[in-house]
Amino acid sequence: MDYGCVILKKLGRREMTNESEDDLAHKILKDIKAPSDLGLLRCVQCGLCTSMCPASRHSEYDAREIIKRVLDNDESIIEDEIIWNCFYCYTCHSVCPVGNSVCEVNQILRQMAIDKDVGKKQIESFMSFADSFLEEGLGIIPKEYHGQLKIDYGKHWENLQENLQEVREELGLDSMFLLPEAKESVDKTLDAIGFKKRVDSIKEVRNRK
Amino acid sequence: MSETNRIGVFLCHCGGNISDNVDLDKIEEKLSENEEICSIKHHENLCSLEGRNIIKDQILRENLDKVVISACSKITHGATFQKYIQPLNPYLFEMPNVREQCSWVTEDKDKSTKKALSLINSAIETVKYNEPLKKIPTKVKNSVLVIGAGISGITTANSLAKQGMEVTLIEKRPAVGGAMIQVGKVFTPDKMSEDCAACLLNPVIDEMVHNDKITLLTNTVLERSSRNAGNFDVILRKKPDYIDPEKCTSCGKCTQACPSFAPDEWNEGLNNRKAVYKPFPQAVPSTYTLDDDFCIKCGACINVCPTNAINLDAIDEIISLTVGAVVIATGHQRFDTNKRPEYGHPFYEDVLSQMQLARLMGINGPTNGHLQVPSTGKVPRRVVMIQCVGSRDQMPDGHKYCSKVCCMVALKNANLIHSHYPDTEVIICYTDIRTPGVYEKYYKYVQDNGIQLIRGRPGEIAREDDHLIVRIEDTLTHNKQEIPTDLVVLSAALESSQGTIDAAKTLGVPLTEDKFIKEKHPKMQPVSTDIEGIFVCGTAQGPKDITDSIIQANTASTKISELINGGLEVEPHIASINVKKCVLCGKCVDNCRYQALSIYQNSIRVGPIACTGCGDCIITCPQEAISIQGQSDERLEASIKGILKDKDDDEQIIIAFLDDIGNVSANNMGINRVECPSSIRIINVPFINRVKYKHIKYALTHGADGVFLGEYPDSYKHDEIRENVQVMKKHLQEDGINPERLIIHSVFIPYFRGLASQFKEFDDVLATLSS
Repeated sequence: MDYGCVILKKLGRREMTNESEDDLAHKILKDIKAPSDLGLLRCVQCGLCTSMCPASRHSEYDAREIIKRVLDNDESIIEDEIIWNCFYCYTCHSVCPVGNSVCEVNQILRQMAIDKDVGKKQIESFMSFADSFLEEGLGIIPKEYHGQLKIDYGKHWENLQENLQEVREELGLDSMFLLPEAKESVDKTLDAIGFKKRVDSIKEVRNRK
Repeated sequence: MSETNRIGVFLCHCGGNISDNVDLDKIEEKLSENEEICSIKHHENLCSLEGRNIIKDQILRENLDKVVISACSKITHGATFQKYIQPLNPYLFEMPNVREQCSWVTEDKDKSTKKALSLINSAIETVKYNEPLKKIPTKVKNSVLVIGAGISGITTANSLAKQGMEVTLIEKRPAVGGAMIQVGKVFTPDKMSEDCAACLLNPVIDEMVHNDKITLLTNTVLERSSRNAGNFDVILRKKPDYIDPEKCTSCGKCTQACPSFAPDEWNEGLNNRKAVYKPFPQAVPSTYTLDDDFCIKCGACINVCPTNAINLDAIDEIISLTVGAVVIATGHQRFDTNKRPEYGHPFYEDVLSQMQLARLMGINGPTNGHLQVPSTGKVPRRVVMIQCVGSRDQMPDGHKYCSKVCCMVALKNANLIHSHYPDTEVIICYTDIRTPGVYEKYYKYVQDNGIQLIRGRPGEIAREDDHLIVRIEDTLTHNKQEIPTDLVVLSAALESSQGTIDAAKTLGVPLTEDKFIKEKHPKMQPVSTDIEGIFVCGTAQGPKDITDSIIQANTASTKISELINGGLEVEPHIASINVKKCVLCGKCVDNCRYQALSIYQNSIRVGPIACTGCGDCIITCPQEAISIQGQSDERLEASIKGILKDKDDDEQIIIAFLDDIGNVSANNMGINRVECPSSIRIINVPFINRVKYKHIKYALTHGADGVFLGEYPDSYKHDEIRENVQVMKKHLQEDGINPERLIIHSVFIPYFRGLASQFKEFDDVLATLSS
């Protein structure tokens, strides 16, 4: 009812306790990555997420605790390495009875950590993916991972990589690489949206070691 | 409208409340220019006995036929002046509200005087169209249909019968008693004990069976219902009586002979029963019944029946009744736990619902009251109960509401297990324990008995070796655990039963978003529905326990007694049909949300009890054959005309059509002395749809600067009204009128300050439009 809203705005608990809507929970809700119906403020700490979460089962990570700390406006969570234990399986997201999503909250927290610099070293090792994107305009698996993939998938995979061009030709497929003008256009776009700059700033943590 | 009018105007000072801020002498001077006014009188307090004498004296002396009393709101003294104008018909007067809606909300005395004059002029024009009317005495039939013979339906039926009404009690199932008879044990919080449900219920059932005024029909559903004036014509369908209840001696030989099996509903499918069976040993009626979904018509039962009671060719029975009222007591059903496969239904047979557990513990249950793990037949070492399965759950198919009784049900069953099997450990996993009032004592008592409570909501149940595993985080201690257990019990939500949804559809009663029967008002009228004469009680209206169901059942019977025994005198402002114009298209009948209209013997009949005079039917009628008695279109136009009569060139006037809620809100503005722009002139209409485009156009082309519509948004017509306003705005554009001059807002009784600021805002907008 309209009436209720007016009264709440005027006499709301937040105003009386001198709290405003710029606490961590609201920052997350206002984040561009947050779905409009994210049930963060509806969380009653029932713990269903934790009971199902594989990361919570095998590490110190506790999905419910992440939300608790966000609601407590505990900004130290952004710097806490625990947020990097979630591996986005989305189980918490699919079971929450109030429509909250711990993994999506985590994604936003991680973005905050990256913006605050502390998170950069967590994703620095993924920058070779960015490089392939910058160099070829494609999201291909960087060379540095090939060693491990060889071990994981064995000889067959190695053969495929070595003879990829031939296999594709046999199948009647064109080159998997972009045409030079397309590459140029992707390059320009990545420059314009600040992707390059961002990659550089993340890589920069390597020099600090 | 009569040819000549002899109108008398009486101006009340209201002890200064009006006269201090309205120049009544000036008004008298202005009014005396009007030839139709035969008499103008002032008085300090017209509502006093002295005032009464003045009014009566003038009516007789001047031979007045219509009266205008400029005073306070009709809500305050309308009834008073209805009496004071005798010997005139009580509907031949109008009361411009010059106090709440003028002198109390306008600071400037000149403006206030001008506004008062315009309100009085409006009343003078309006009253010319008032007709002599009579209140309509009504009486409905002294019989009631009660749908559903659980604790709520039986309680209502007993109470109605004792108050002298003829009751037909129908039950879809073959036996009465509903969920209460099935549940076995009920808690009694003040005694800290669990009592036998059947022992409490049987005397109530006996009373029903032995009351001559109650006709019980089992295996019977409501098939059709139509409104017939104040009554309901209903058609019931009773399943075939394959077994003649008069001949059946309940010997049970047929059951022994029957080769066909079906899941036993009474035991929640934990075991099977035969196709010919008695639902449970203490069933009422006690005769055997035949389930034609599972009967293979082999005739084995016929061969063994000693009384020749069985006839497999029996056909169903159609029963037609006319009743004065209907009670929906169709109860609830339990959330289908198969919709939450993560909790192991239907994969693990050792996962039960609370009702299955109750049956397993029931002395007349499948194990004669012995608690056994279904897969092993042994007493469980540990039982884990999971709360809020399907309740407080926004997931697909879940229910957002709290089912209200599950905490007590779990505590009751946990304590029962504990007292019979002290070696069995019981754990309840909960999000919040909700045990209001004295129930909290029972919760503490159960906790003290050693029942463990873990605050956490488990996500899944897995099977490991010969037992189940419940994964949970104890959110209070942070402890993530995997609890091995023999038995898991799910506290499934209470949800609206199919019978409730069917009854609502057949009777045309609206449902809530959760599909329970929607009460007329959830706080003030909890057992009435939007349809006058149809009532609801028990869990058909929402989750509740036995005590609350009984309270509602008795309330429903009292409300019905008021209607049937007391009779009603209804205000005469109801729909009336011009039979010459009506083509019986039936659009009005379909549109009326109060089911006040019906087609009867080639004419539209209006039910005076059901009709609220809202006038919504008027705009649905393609023949313009409907009017509301005493509220014609011409009369509404006259109200507008009167307001605009003495308008000055530089004066801004807004006509505000407010529904009853809006009108009260505007009165509150006066009572709280909230300033309201003097341009506002309120016309109270019964329903916003009553205002037609022609009225709005008339106002805006005859001097009004703006039209404000104030609508209480709590009706299913709300969206339609808002769309209609958009259409009318388009019409205004086409007619060369700025559509911004028409505005609609929601109104609420306590929101009078908001209404005042909406008025102010609109007033400002119109001022800039004009300049």
